[in-house]
Amino acid sequence: MSPGGKQMAQAYVELVAEDAEATSALAIVRGRLAAGRRLTSVRRLRVFELAGTLPSRAQLEALLHRSTRFYNPAKERCTVRAAERESAPFRPEEALVLVLDRGLERRPAGERWWKHETGEKVEVREGTVWALAFEPGEDAAARAGELAEVQDRRHGLFANPHFQDWRPGTGASPPWPWIERPRKRAKEDRP
Amino acid sequence: MSESTRARGSARVAIVQFPGVNCEAETARALARAGLEPELVRWTRPARDLAAFDAYVLPGGFSWQDRVRAGALAAKDPMLDELAARADAGAPVLGICNGAQVLVEAGLVPGNGGVEGRRPAPGAGPRDEVRVALARNRMPERTGYYTRWVWCRVEETQCVFTRAIEPGTLLPLPVAHGEGRFASAKKGRIAALAEAGQAPLRYAHADGALAEAFPENPNGSEAAVAALCNARGNVLALMPHPERAATLGQVSRAIGGDWGGRRERALAAGDGSAFGDGPGMAIFHGLARFFAVHA
Repeated sequence: MSPGGKQMAQAYVELVAEDAEATSALAIVRGRLAAGRRLTSVRRLRVFELAGTLPSRAQLEALLHRSTRFYNPAKERCTVRAAERESAPFRPEEALVLVLDRGLERRPAGERWWKHETGEKVEVREGTVWALAFEPGEDAAARAGELAEVQDRRHGLFANPHFQDWRPGTGASPPWPWIERPRKRAKEDRP
Repeated sequence: MSESTRARGSARVAIVQFPGVNCEAETARALARAGLEPELVRWTRPARDLAAFDAYVLPGGFSWQDRVRAGALAAKDPMLDELAARADAGAPVLGICNGAQVLVEAGLVPGNGGVEGRRPAPGAGPRDEVRVALARNRMPERTGYYTRWVWCRVEETQCVFTRAIEPGTLLPLPVAHGEGRFASAKKGRIAALAEAGQAPLRYAHADGALAEAFPENPNGSEAAVAALCNARGNVLALMPHPERAATLGQVSRAIGGDWGGRRERALAAGDGSAFGDGPGMAIFHGLARFFAVHA
């Protein structure tokens, strides 16, 4: 359930092949940003949060699979997290940075498609998750926090605060909800 | 202008190309047409090579395929440190479309100082704080990449590239981008920059009134800003593509008024006059004039 009492699910979408975007981000962060010197891997996932009256997990997965509004099964895989206790496709040691385009999180086309297919009104939101792993002994949450928000050429990368918000998380227990998280709680999450 | 440039009689302009940039050829043609001496400098060359040039242009395209965010990865390249140093020394730097996104992500535009008067602490070294963004277009009933010809009104500023153009002049120029909306987390910052003379070009209607709404303002940019420069006026982040409007024949049929009339007459004449200067050349001639004055 989301805070508003609606049913909620998260869908994590990741490229099956190597992600050039993540590879470039890893190279640039390691090479140019002090906070990223001990970064060992970067993964990029798109995350959808659906809120409203939702069908069973099997139907949910089938619907997401069928619509091009969510992902392309020929080149991406999707992991559905239908309850907070369920796992998400992250490693426990990964520090997560969710990036949202402020005010543009909603996906009206996805909502229209869902209504057309199921007759149900759901809210669909989308963000990008950067999963960062560091060398052992590094404070992953702190370093990820330093890399999250661009400040200048030497500090930060993943979100430009002038039009994007970012919210932290850990691979062991990604926030639930995450995109729809009240702004105050999202700020409190920051390292 | 350097001694060697003075001896040659024309300024050397580096066209800085990162992987994915695709407007370098037409940018080079426009610079040469203005009497400047363009040379392509790819990202594989040492950043120190840039020191030999008098001015710099970052052309349009998709540097690093827009990975992470348009301009975000190129902004971390050592070449941007060199460009920042050259800009501090007064060298003109122009970023067109993706080049503008790189300059904004690198903090060269609007740069330090300016309306908020902030500069790095002594001894802190060059620290160009990122103070604005080129955010995703905000358009009614649509998202993503958008292209059209727009009217840009020249404002009275000290920008190297536009200060020789009569304020109020309207230039029809093409835009083509998905992230072109000047925005800032600080409310009113973009308008304040415009008020302070750091917005040399603003989106306008054909009658010259500022365009706040789509489609004349093609991306929802605050204060109808189409270009921002630093406080000194020598670094310009320009979203429209002047190099795609370098000749009269390139002007869109959707454009009327004086420019439209000139295009029609030139095409009808069939005498090659369609290859005469188009509206975009004003920007490149502005750069050439800067060197003519400072030679």
